[in-house]
Amino acid sequence: MSRLVKPWLASFDWEIVTEINRGLCKQKHALHKPTSDGHLPAKTLWEKNQSKELDLTEALEICLKCHRLAPFCFYNGNTFAAIARDFITELSPKLPADKAHILRSIAGHIVAGTATEIERKQLDSLLAVLGK
Amino acid sequence: MTETQHKRLKRIMKDALRIQDRFAAEPVLARTGKGYLRSEGVTTLQRIKAGLRKSAAH
Repeated sequence: MSRLVKPWLASFDWEIVTEINRGLCKQKHALHKPTSDGHLPAKTLWEKNQSKELDLTEALEICLKCHRLAPFCFYNGNTFAAIARDFITELSPKLPADKAHILRSIAGHIVAGTATEIERKQLDSLLAVLGK
Repeated sequence: MTETQHKRLKRIMKDALRIQDRFAAEPVLARTGKGYLRSEGVTTLQRIKAGLRKSAAH
């Protein structure tokens, strides 16, 4: 099995997701609170996919969807982008430092919802190299 | 939370706080359908590339 297909989210229980958001809100004196409409759908989506074998782009899409669902009042993008940037770091030793930085950066952009078509193609190219 | 989870959380928080000012606090993507992330600029990438060039030269 390709090392790009694995349970990427397995190490991130919803408890960890919540703690990251709590820490970010605390830093900025923002309210840390689950939203009434987004929290349950996001938590359900996350937990449904947490132990699933996913390819890397699927895992990033789950992070993006959870960001879009906005489970917390503040700092949703920051929370899920940080998780994606962390799990993608596992691939860094296989790449030169500049490419590893670009990979982390693109992962953050995808989850933030700001990735361009060029960045998505760049991601595909990097993953093709890693998948060989 | 286990010791491993605590270590992971600490590592993620370090990076999350480092990039925090690039994000909007409010749920912009949920409200507008369009995400927001302030550009990091090219300084970090330039520094990394300079480091790689220096290593290659030695």
